[in-house]
Amino acid sequence: MIKETRIALKNLGKINPESIDDYISQGGYLAFAEVLEMKPTSVIKEIEDSGLRGRGGAGFPTGIKDRYTTLSCEDCDRYIICNADEGEPGTFKDRIIMENDPHLLIEGMLISAYGIGASKGYIYIRAEYYLSVERVKKAIETACERGYLGKNIMGTYFSFYLEIKLGAGSYLCGEELTLMESLEGKRGYPRIKPPFPAEKGLFGKPTLINNVETLSHIPTIIVKGSKWYTGLGTEKSKGTKIFTISGNVNKPGYYEVELGVSLRSLIYDFAGGMKEGKTFKAALLGGAAGTFVDESMLDTAMAYDSLKEKGATLGSGAIIVLDNDQSVFEVLFSVLNFFKHESCGKCVPCRIGTTQLMLLMNKIKSEADKADILKEIFHQSELMAKSSLCPLGQSPILPVKSSIKYFEKELLTFSA
Amino acid sequence: MEEFVKITIDGKHINALKGSNLLQLAKDNGIPIPSLCYHKKLSPTGACRLCLVKIKGTNGLVASCTVQVKEEMEVTAFDDELEECRKYLLDYLVSEHNEENDNSYTDEFFELLKKYNLYDKSKRKYPSVWKLMNYSKDDSSPVLTYDASKCIKCFRCIKACDEVQGKNVLSFNDRGMGSYIIAGFDKWKESECDGCGECIQLCPTGAIVEKPHRSEININNLDRKVKTTCPYCGVGCQIEMQVKDEKILRSNGVEGVSPNDGRLCIKGRFGYDFVQSKERLTHPLIKKNGKFEKASWDEALDLIASKFNECIDKYGNEALAGYSSAKCTNEENYIFQKFIRTVFGNNNVDYCTRLCHASTVTAMLRSIGDGAGSNSIEDFETTDCLLVTGNNIIETHPITATYVKRGVSKGMQVIIIDPKWTPLVNYASIWLQPRLGTDVALLNGMIRYIIQNDLMDKKFIESRIDNGMQAFEYLKKLCQKYTPAYVEQITGVPGKLMTEAARIYATSPTSMIATGMGMSQQVTGTNNVFSLINMMLITAQIGKERAGIDPPRGQNNVQGATDVGASPLNYPGYIPVTNDENRRKVAEIWNVPYESLSSKPGLTTVEIAHAAYNGKIKALYIMGENPMLTDPNLNHAKESFNKLDFLVVQDIFHTETTAFADVILPAASFAEKNGTFVNSDRRVLRVRKVVDSPGEARNDWKIILDIAQRMGKPMKTYNNESEIFDEIAAVTPIMAGINHERIEEHGIQWPCYDKNHPGTSTLFLEKFNTPNGKAKLNPVDYVAQQEKVSDEYPFLLNSGRILYQYHSSTMSRKNDALNAFANKSYVLMHPNDVIKHNFIDGIEVKLTSARGNLTTTLRISEEVLEGELFMPWHFSESPVNNLTRDELDPHSKIAPFKLSACKVEKV
Amino acid sequence: MNTEEILLKYKPDKENLIQILHEIQDLHPQQYLTETDLLKVAKYLNITRSFVYGVVGYYSMFSTTPRGKYIIRLCESPVCNMFNSKMIAEKLKEILKIDINQTTADGLFTLELSECLGLCGNKPSMMINRETYTELDENNIELIIKNLRNN
Repeated sequence: MIKETRIALKNLGKINPESIDDYISQGGYLAFAEVLEMKPTSVIKEIEDSGLRGRGGAGFPTGIKDRYTTLSCEDCDRYIICNADEGEPGTFKDRIIMENDPHLLIEGMLISAYGIGASKGYIYIRAEYYLSVERVKKAIETACERGYLGKNIMGTYFSFYLEIKLGAGSYLCGEELTLMESLEGKRGYPRIKPPFPAEKGLFGKPTLINNVETLSHIPTIIVKGSKWYTGLGTEKSKGTKIFTISGNVNKPGYYEVELGVSLRSLIYDFAGGMKEGKTFKAALLGGAAGTFVDESMLDTAMAYDSLKEKGATLGSGAIIVLDNDQSVFEVLFSVLNFFKHESCGKCVPCRIGTTQLMLLMNKIKSEADKADILKEIFHQSELMAKSSLCPLGQSPILPVKSSIKYFEKELLTFSA
Repeated sequence: MEEFVKITIDGKHINALKGSNLLQLAKDNGIPIPSLCYHKKLSPTGACRLCLVKIKGTNGLVASCTVQVKEEMEVTAFDDELEECRKYLLDYLVSEHNEENDNSYTDEFFELLKKYNLYDKSKRKYPSVWKLMNYSKDDSSPVLTYDASKCIKCFRCIKACDEVQGKNVLSFNDRGMGSYIIAGFDKWKESECDGCGECIQLCPTGAIVEKPHRSEININNLDRKVKTTCPYCGVGCQIEMQVKDEKILRSNGVEGVSPNDGRLCIKGRFGYDFVQSKERLTHPLIKKNGKFEKASWDEALDLIASKFNECIDKYGNEALAGYSSAKCTNEENYIFQKFIRTVFGNNNVDYCTRLCHASTVTAMLRSIGDGAGSNSIEDFETTDCLLVTGNNIIETHPITATYVKRGVSKGMQVIIIDPKWTPLVNYASIWLQPRLGTDVALLNGMIRYIIQNDLMDKKFIESRIDNGMQAFEYLKKLCQKYTPAYVEQITGVPGKLMTEAARIYATSPTSMIATGMGMSQQVTGTNNVFSLINMMLITAQIGKERAGIDPPRGQNNVQGATDVGASPLNYPGYIPVTNDENRRKVAEIWNVPYESLSSKPGLTTVEIAHAAYNGKIKALYIMGENPMLTDPNLNHAKESFNKLDFLVVQDIFHTETTAFADVILPAASFAEKNGTFVNSDRRVLRVRKVVDSPGEARNDWKIILDIAQRMGKPMKTYNNESEIFDEIAAVTPIMAGINHERIEEHGIQWPCYDKNHPGTSTLFLEKFNTPNGKAKLNPVDYVAQQEKVSDEYPFLLNSGRILYQYHSSTMSRKNDALNAFANKSYVLMHPNDVIKHNFIDGIEVKLTSARGNLTTTLRISEEVLEGELFMPWHFSESPVNNLTRDELDPHSKIAPFKLSACKVEKV
Repeated sequence: MNTEEILLKYKPDKENLIQILHEIQDLHPQQYLTETDLLKVAKYLNITRSFVYGVVGYYSMFSTTPRGKYIIRLCESPVCNMFNSKMIAEKLKEILKIDINQTTADGLFTLELSECLGLCGNKPSMMINRETYTELDENNIELIIKNLRNN
């Protein structure tokens, strides 16, 4: 049977999250010490060679992003931001890391900051994650006391200051450019892209923004080497991924496994299979901005490209499992309602579209010509995806299209 | 370097500046990509998505408003997919929009709906959703209404307020479909909104509309739109007046034209109702037995002619004088001064400029040779550092201030020197708050610091200052004693702040100075400006683009009136009356004997009043001035006016001054005549007739010519104002190249020497306007004020203007919109003084100086220093000039309106 | 700690707005932002009132109306929804005798709905102030509320 391979979760349960000594005893901050002897470009190269891709959902190669951030100007201020605004429904991996191993995240940020030449970093945490905030805050304080953060770290010329910033209840602020607006103290509106963060990010300066899980891979990549890391996962999706499995399974929770694992294995080997008397009907992969799959997809490899080929998404690693008694329509309804609530209102298609879609979803419950309405839902979602300013408005098409693909019959026969 | 690229849009080849905005480029090239949230004055928003296009090599559709063009870009602007998408978006948009009462749509919105066949509600596909939202309406502002149900959330109002006006008063509340525009804490009336209405002008759907004349405005049913120049301050904003049934219903800013590019302040947008006020003078009035009686023009003019002639016969030429007007056009002022010089036969012509920037102009003329601002209004946005001294620019020159605020958002540093807080402090890097009347000490301290730290420009001093280093050494020596500690002792300004300000001013690549009434209206007014100019000269912050000194002018045509000769000292074009050669030339053009033109400098404004008091001036002709509110030491001035034998006042309203008149003549307002004004950056701008004058009111210049005729000394007649301007050009070398036709679309900045001259945006680039082309240092010492606090008069009173009223408020207080914001006199007092004297906020108080007294309302405020007070002087029921002195600055004869010792008592 | 002291902890930069609002709101016994406080914030940060109010209005955790001593945030995410969070909401309304976004008459509880709280492994779930509560059912919520009431 396949086992977990823990990188981001490597210290989980082994250390007291509030003790920096515990972290150090597990080899903590050794990777960073090693990096201080390296040239920044070599650090970036190591990350690039590892094939690590963004674990927030978009899956962009981390090393390339690092490098772009250093390119836009020679000698200007740069920022690094950790995106800890975890809000994708069904996702709770970043919370687990922050609550259990905050120093790992800090070390990942330190290494990245050294690589790109940033002296100031922010961790943007959603305010509802009280325990995460407390743990990370404490970790920053102790790291400062021990000289891992601050001026001339460990007697070198490298200085780095780290600060926590809180969200205040907005899903959209997890989108990188919107997050930067929020971090600057403004309403969470997405910015026009380009320019990308690597050119003009926070306060108009080149900015590297990475997800908590992504950053937590970096210390291990440095210590064990990119070569070791590329031995994990699939050809195009290297390393491990934390999957958060919810729904009617026996052991819902988080599992860090090599990419390429099958959905079947995750549900049956790790999550203990369906609860007694239930059978698998569907899974929503990647959260609200994700795709439904049915049992025909159970053996597809859970990796960026293999899923994309089949029109599905890996996303944040959320796997919401539906059993044979649970309604795809209800989940779709709930997901579209979520988008309506979280639409910032800046662009026309998303602001009005999320409301119009909900009118149609309510209509489909009661009216007879469901096929026409469903067609209209699809059509409007598609137009929204084409014309919206940011990923939020481009997302409803994902669950809409995939639910129609696999469960059209159910949607057409749903009655409230 | 500007780089051009070749791109194609729908197969059309276009050469474009690299990086230019794709949507704007398409529009400029006749490719009408639809858009709603985009406006060329605003940063792109990308919200409405209507401007989506396809770009070869880029995935999906992109909003063209967010694209900067690059070499070989291939753009598809119109195809079936894009048009389907646009129709869908627009259909979405109208589903959110309350379509009832749609007469407030802009043309662009209306046309768009028609184009996509969505104006007809039955053609719309998506169900109306605005009704689900319970959108609210904010009707609390005195000047506008916001209806969220008509709002399409395009951000244009928010950006208009923030990016165009620099106020950032608006935001959205809530989010998603529920979001709506708010001012303040969701209540417009209690917000920082100052009613400029930029948001109204840029709103495409009529969600934000003005209140005045709302029920009468129907966009599709206007009689005419006339472009003209705003009659309030000296910015010279271009406005478009919209008329229906001979009534002015609306004033909009004219887009794409300097100086304002569409921007207006509340006065420019809502201050026009005075034109059609019932209180306008409509018939000549003659005072008989102490009462004014309606008279015919013939009767009134004959009486004036005979009285003026009688005065000349009895007391000689020198016993007559005239006040011309900063409110009137160049053409009218020109005719007025010509009348004084040729019909009265003296140079006793002056106007309120003597009361505002005379000292500035005097100092500037003596040191750099020109009294006008050296820069253009656009430079207020692009200079690196702006030093604002004694100038509440946001309130007194709101549109110039928009340039400053925009500059600040791009990194410009603003240094403020002002004893009183002004709203610009919120945008400033440094605010120095000297005690009233201590400016010379402060500026000398800054000069000392600059010299000590070698921040001056020796090359400039040697090449462009008269006597070069020698003059500099003298200044250096004089400033030696102004150490930070000494300066702090005099001014109260911390040494560190002062030196930091000096450092920023001296070391910025370019620095400009905006100097105002706080500097000029003092007994030491001229010296204040001398000291300022000394600092500017030794740091070489003049003589290059975006550097220099600019006194924003208070009235719409205060610049022009002096330009065209309304001055006791100068003929048109600043040529001294003593210049024989010029008088000879002018005599020829005026067709009068050279000998009849006096070479003796005339009396200035306050001197005329003094002369009247002493019986030397017997008859006075006033055109559009209100000295009985604006002169210092009013009680004394009133006595003077009572001693006159004969007073003629020509105005559009009864004023404090008309009460003293023997004959009152009804004149045309700015909206009823053609002509030109000159604004603060020397731009000659057109004034156009919008409506007819009420009753029998006449144009000022026609009245003047008629009086001359009836006095038996006929002047040349003209068919229209354009002919008058041609004569101005003939006698005024700096305007020689300007005529009405040339400035039909855009104004021209003088000097403009001939028909091919483009005008001049920056003065003194090559040389100064002095005889030898070099600037002159005028080192001055700090002199303590004569007027001091005492046990009897423990406060120093400062006075000034506020945004919502204007000067003696004869015009502004006839507008409900302006009065709704501020219509009551008050005095500001520091909280500590309020406590010390056991006052409370809001009580009625009596202010008394050695000259007189008044009553007003006390307001507690940290805007003033302890021991100092501030009062706006617009309100005739609490005339500040009852308290001021008529001692004069020896150089410029300006009166010290800014500093009067007084006491405060509960009423 | 009062509002002024909170403000002085921060540099007067706009970027600190959200942190300041959190602190001021947390300090208030009724967990909301008063106009008096918002005015102080605007003045301290040299920003306009609507800027502050707009930020408050955008983020769902901020409130400009008084709330209870305990703010219940019940997760209504797709996952919790699948596991009957609607029923929990109904039950809470019944126990507290209030609707969503209302506060009990005694000023103790405010009931709000929240997007995914990241507790999907143990659904349905909610937070009360800083504490998380998972595996909710009809019985345990009654007990949770009762305990807090007696506290």
